[in-house]
Amino acid sequence: MIKEVSKRDGRIIPFNEEKITRAIYLAACGVAEREGKKADYQVSEALTKDVVSIINKKFLHTIPTVEEIQDVVVSVLIHHGHVKTSEQYILYRGERSRVRDSKSRLMKAIKEITFMDAKAADIKRENANIDGNTAMGTMLQYGSTVSKEFCKTHMLKPEHTLAHEVGDIHIHDMDFMNMGTLTCCQIDLLKLFKNGFSTGHGFLREPNDIMSYAALAAIAIQSNQNDQHGGQSIPYFDYGMADGVRKTYKNSYIKHLRQALQLMLGLKDEEVADVKDFIEQLEEKSGYKLQLTENETYKQLEKEGLMKAFQIDEKLAERVQTFSSKESYKETNRKTYQAMEAFIHNLNTMHSRAGAQVPFSSVNFGTDTTPEGRMVTENLLLSVESGLGNGETPIFPILIFKVKEGVSLNPGDPNYDLFKLGCRVSAKRLFPNFSFLDAPFNAKYYVEGRPETEATYMGCRTRVLGNVCGEEIVSGRGNLSFTTINLPRLGIKHGVLSQSETKLDDFFAELDEKIALVIEQLLERMQVQGNKKVKNFPFLMGQNIWNGSEKLGPDDTLEEVIKQGTLTVGFIGLAECLKALIGEHHGESEAAQELGIKIISHMRERMDQAAEQYKLNFSLIATPAEGLSGRFTVIDRKKYGVIPGVTDREYYTNSFHVPVYYKTNAFTKIAKEAPYHELTNAGHITYIELDGDPTNNLEAFETIIRAMKDLGIGYGSINHPVDRDPICGYSGVIEGDICPACGRNEAESNVKFDRIRRITGYLVGTVDRFNNAKKAEVYDRVKHF
Amino acid sequence: MKVRLASPITYDSIVDGPGLRMVIWTQGCIHNCDGCHNPQTHALDAGYELDHEELIQQLKESRLQKGITLSGGDPFLQAKALIPVAAEAKKLGLDVWAYTGFRWEFLMHPNNPSHNEHFELLQHVDTLVDGRFMKEKKSVDLTFRGSSNQRIIDVQKSLKEKVIICRAEYM
Repeated sequence: MIKEVSKRDGRIIPFNEEKITRAIYLAACGVAEREGKKADYQVSEALTKDVVSIINKKFLHTIPTVEEIQDVVVSVLIHHGHVKTSEQYILYRGERSRVRDSKSRLMKAIKEITFMDAKAADIKRENANIDGNTAMGTMLQYGSTVSKEFCKTHMLKPEHTLAHEVGDIHIHDMDFMNMGTLTCCQIDLLKLFKNGFSTGHGFLREPNDIMSYAALAAIAIQSNQNDQHGGQSIPYFDYGMADGVRKTYKNSYIKHLRQALQLMLGLKDEEVADVKDFIEQLEEKSGYKLQLTENETYKQLEKEGLMKAFQIDEKLAERVQTFSSKESYKETNRKTYQAMEAFIHNLNTMHSRAGAQVPFSSVNFGTDTTPEGRMVTENLLLSVESGLGNGETPIFPILIFKVKEGVSLNPGDPNYDLFKLGCRVSAKRLFPNFSFLDAPFNAKYYVEGRPETEATYMGCRTRVLGNVCGEEIVSGRGNLSFTTINLPRLGIKHGVLSQSETKLDDFFAELDEKIALVIEQLLERMQVQGNKKVKNFPFLMGQNIWNGSEKLGPDDTLEEVIKQGTLTVGFIGLAECLKALIGEHHGESEAAQELGIKIISHMRERMDQAAEQYKLNFSLIATPAEGLSGRFTVIDRKKYGVIPGVTDREYYTNSFHVPVYYKTNAFTKIAKEAPYHELTNAGHITYIELDGDPTNNLEAFETIIRAMKDLGIGYGSINHPVDRDPICGYSGVIEGDICPACGRNEAESNVKFDRIRRITGYLVGTVDRFNNAKKAEVYDRVKHF
Repeated sequence: MKVRLASPITYDSIVDGPGLRMVIWTQGCIHNCDGCHNPQTHALDAGYELDHEELIQQLKESRLQKGITLSGGDPFLQAKALIPVAAEAKKLGLDVWAYTGFRWEFLMHPNNPSHNEHFELLQHVDTLVDGRFMKEKKSVDLTFRGSSNQRIIDVQKSLKEKVIICRAEYM
């Protein structure tokens, strides 16, 4: 007689006949209800007797599994003519197992998050900027895991879930799909600060000096980050802060003028109380606003005014004036430095998203040529150069220096000195990166005097500029969502490494299928996003950061305004795809490069067509592939085996990059990658790896940045090792275990060297937090020499 | 003429002189300095040979490079073969740096058995980093040299003035 049953999870439990009866009865009820009848429990009991007797014979010496018993139930139902009930039973069984699978997947993942150290569990390091070892980091990962599972089973179309699961595509930030968040946004500080704003917990007045300007900029980034799942970018920081410098200078000038008068003439406080009004009247009279650039007419008026009001001679008036300008300039510069220093410190310490992350922030600057804007840029760079409290390299924000001929690129350009300073700081701190406004695809949007038309990048490389739904500007816009296509797999399926010949027509046909699938998926997600209301995103939409949200009320839905954002298709592993297709990647041959350009051009054309067809901003991105760089490879290796040059590494190469393990020189790498910048209108970046400490050779550094500009790169940066011994404070390159400055052996000490590296465009303090695939990629990076 | 090399040309070096540089790694060195960065380049018969014409061909492919650097090994052990290489680099508008374990005084001394070819090679060298690497004089603060006894010499000025003139910006 049957006594026990083996459950799916391996546990053995006592056999209970009644469970079978109930299951049959439930299925019968389902059928009966549809036919307006009533199910008979006794029939179910009789059928159960039959099932049990078969089981007793069949499993005389073994313990049956739940599945095996269910199989017997189905056959008994059919045997007795209860076909409809059997169908219902099968459905019910299927439903149960889907829930169960999802439940056990979920529990397995949660177990991993809970009990494993982040060092051992890849899932905990999917995102290098979340510390999976902290309580709030774990909480965030719980939420993310549950949410992702929910989206897979209840939100996405089954074909989209399937395509994601099998690794044809990767739906980024899937865990945020149900929240309807948009990815990222480029925040216009000028617009935000005008008349003040509210964070939801309190109202902030329009700031009045550079310290508050910088503090509020950090708060804006933090608040907005909580309404989105991606990063935050300030598109023209120098323009945004310049007014703060101006106001600081004016306040300082008034203060110093008072001091000078008091000191020289022995006046009391109340006797100089009117100085502010005095100055403001003169401002009105001369039409000049007090600022770093002096004005002769104003100076003259002020001098005459002083002489008259305070009964002093010309010489003394001039002395008072000179003192005031000189001291206020010094004080303004010092305050601006402190403000920028605080800004950097804030962005590296303030928390967002339940405290598990610092905001992902990017700051673009470098084109404001006014003395105030230049003062911001200079001090921002200087404070990054000097580092955090102990001289550590700041991880945030990502700094992006805008390079433009006539503005900053060449000797004689007004901001050339700042460009040189940018190179110096980047050689030490890996930031700033450099964006090139003269690249034809960026230059075509540029309108002089309108910083909102200057191409900007968000740290991970995202670019939002072109617009089929409105003005072609950067501010108040961002990406809605993006999904990446697994190019190497298509290469393997239709290429020479697994087939006898390359079948390009089949390749492009399947690529088109995948693109169509992703377009549909992006549109579906956009519907979810569009159904959200202003009140769901109290800062982004409620404080009118996003373009057009100023016209909406709290209960209005977002479908119209989010058309300002981009819907983006990405790709990974062009190199492996080409290798699989024709046996060579684009670093290796011109033929491969030609084919690479053909493939990416095709993807871009499809995006342009979709933009035309749907009147939405479909665009193509060179995917920043962090969690993804290993996921596709693992699945593909399982499916297709180890294919040399394709699946034999832990990762697929980033977007259109020439593989990091491939030896080439800087010029060739830049030249090979440049054409893809033009094609990837939703974002791109090119990196050059340098061996050694470039701070001693800025000439070399600048040569490479200039080569990027000359060859048509849109956004680029130079990677080099930034190591630091926290004990002696040496910062530079540390080869092996020995600090070259103090001779300390890292292997013999608990205090390890800091090794700052770049991952998906963001800096990470130690290699520990990289996921396995990224770690392998960092070790494979070949310096270009 | 054949040049014995330790490894292929390095493009884009940033630590062997200013700007991006192509580095020619000659094989063979007799100085045997303690703590040498490249001990594998010491053996006189290791590495491989390449015709100087081929090296020159590779120089012509330079794109962003400011100059070339003769390193190794000690390039002055193969001065004769390197003369046309350095001369060609100059013709191509590249500047030439060279590292040697010999001291300037030795290279220029008439009793130096290879004085003639050393002298001729120096005609095509802009900057010479001379002297052995001395571990006890090593410092991370130095630029483009390993130990403080080494000098970064402006070769053409020194030849003209007949006195050693260092490049102050790097010393």
